[in-house]
Amino acid sequence: MTRKQTALYVARLGLTLFLITALVAAALAAVNHITAPRIAAEKERKTQEAIEKVLPGGGKLVEPGRYDNQDGLVANVYESDTGYAVEVTPSGFDGAITMMVGVSRDGKVLGISIISHTETAGLGAVAASDTPDGESFRNQFKGLSGELTVKKDGGTVDQLSGATITSRGVTRGVTAALKCVAGMG
Amino acid sequence: MNFKKQFTEGLLTKNPVTVQLLGMCSTLAITTSLFNGLGMGISVTLILICSNVLISALRKVIPSQIRIAAYIVIIAGFVTIVDLLLQAFLPELSESLGVFIPLIVVNCIILGRAEAFASKNGVLASAVDGLCQGIGYTVALVVMSVLRELLGSGTFGGGLLGGGLGYVVIPDPYPAMKIVMPVGGFLTLGVVIAFSQWLVARIEKKNKKKEAAKV
Amino acid sequence: MTYVQSLLGILISALLTENFILVKFYGICPFMGVSKKIDTALGMGMAVTFVMAIASAACWAVYHLILVKLSLEYMKTVAFILVIAAIVQVVEMFLKKAVPALYKALGIYLPLITTNCAVLGAALVNVQMGYDFFQSVFFGFCGGLGFTLAIVLFASVRERVEKAECPACFKGFPITLISAGLLALAFMGFSGLKLF
Repeated sequence: MTRKQTALYVARLGLTLFLITALVAAALAAVNHITAPRIAAEKERKTQEAIEKVLPGGGKLVEPGRYDNQDGLVANVYESDTGYAVEVTPSGFDGAITMMVGVSRDGKVLGISIISHTETAGLGAVAASDTPDGESFRNQFKGLSGELTVKKDGGTVDQLSGATITSRGVTRGVTAALKCVAGMG
Repeated sequence: MNFKKQFTEGLLTKNPVTVQLLGMCSTLAITTSLFNGLGMGISVTLILICSNVLISALRKVIPSQIRIAAYIVIIAGFVTIVDLLLQAFLPELSESLGVFIPLIVVNCIILGRAEAFASKNGVLASAVDGLCQGIGYTVALVVMSVLRELLGSGTFGGGLLGGGLGYVVIPDPYPAMKIVMPVGGFLTLGVVIAFSQWLVARIEKKNKKKEAAKV
Repeated sequence: MTYVQSLLGILISALLTENFILVKFYGICPFMGVSKKIDTALGMGMAVTFVMAIASAACWAVYHLILVKLSLEYMKTVAFILVIAAIVQVVEMFLKKAVPALYKALGIYLPLITTNCAVLGAALVNVQMGYDFFQSVFFGFCGGLGFTLAIVLFASVRERVEKAECPACFKGFPITLISAGLLALAFMGFSGLKLF
């Protein structure tokens, strides 16, 4: 093959690969165009549902400047007449747990709801599940205030069996939410 | 084209999981409930059929030097499409499968079939191959999921039946939780493959006997 | 939590508590495929560690400097796998020219790494966890070390298992998987190990 032929051949290889990539990119852009609004809406719906669960009636988003995010765990704060819903993202056993914590105006937990997590099925995942164990784990936080820790660390919160790290993460998230609300005065 | 042969190959004698030992990562990681296993199986089957068809259709256009790169781009494209669709329409599944959906890109089953079958055969045969291999993969995943869920969580059909919690088969303190954990993945797959080896050996023995009888 | 603490946390989790192979199930194919002998396992582990650190850096740059700027985040899977495939090629060519000794040691394992899901997995986890540039590279590197640890340990187990007797239907792969399960069980002992 002469040099010119080789160059042409390489150019053909490059062009083919480029065309395929362009085709794939175009297809993806089209699919994304359809799915993006739905994914955003789905996320928004889940967040609203979680707020509604811990702060009946829902709330309005609070500007980030109004609260102090000491541990870096607070993602968003929503406010209503009765209290606040604080979205926190503590780390669990396996990645971050995104959860909503309802806090009353006098600084007590109204309830918690876990939005998303990647904990181990059957162990850490129980914290977010609708099983009796999961419900009682989440409900025990109601009415608590101050610095919370699990029993294993000398605190008051019952950890889930086999999932101390998850329980610790959730407890740390609740504490961060309480601190955040307390700081807002 | 021999549909029946392709089907038995995909399901048993050349099952992608138990015989070809492809795509182990997802097989081990996500088979913790029926919902996960079925969801992953169907997603992979869809991607496998689509990529097989497209690669087979383009097999004469793609120069062989860049074929692997081209295959990977095509596969990644389909995987992302399925990923986006799941996020939009089946968010629960997308959440519980997590990073293993994008990781289907490097699932050797798909690249393996592209290289071994789709690049050499016609569009229809490739589609059938994708379907059969996909079914074989799904069946293996479902078997693993059902076993692990039953032994590990004591339920059947988690995430799908009985209002999302599944039907309780073994009551609370008895399930061996370790089975849904990584350890259980390795052990269960080991036993499932052992069983399929036993089954394949038995079938071969029978066939030999038949042939011997004929002679 | 200070920055150094976060790095130490990454080290412990990538190496032990969330070991890429035995806990997260990334990279099972090479784990099973190239773990018959300790020295080949070590070679593979080193190659993976090397590529994973570079790939984490490159994917971080591609994601944060290109995809996010153009709001094309949904293209990350396609972009990452192309980046990884390109890196593997470049690393292979570079080593061949520059460090022939290392190339000789790692050469045959390099092409296999493109389809090693640990590499793509690390890049995707970096995005998911929101690691910054240095954390990403460090995570890739430690993940690779964890991979090496698991594969070398497993290879030494396997060298002995090969010689042991077992029921016919368990011969070959099944018994290998069962041994891997027992190794994973041992690694479960690390779960809960957290410095901070």
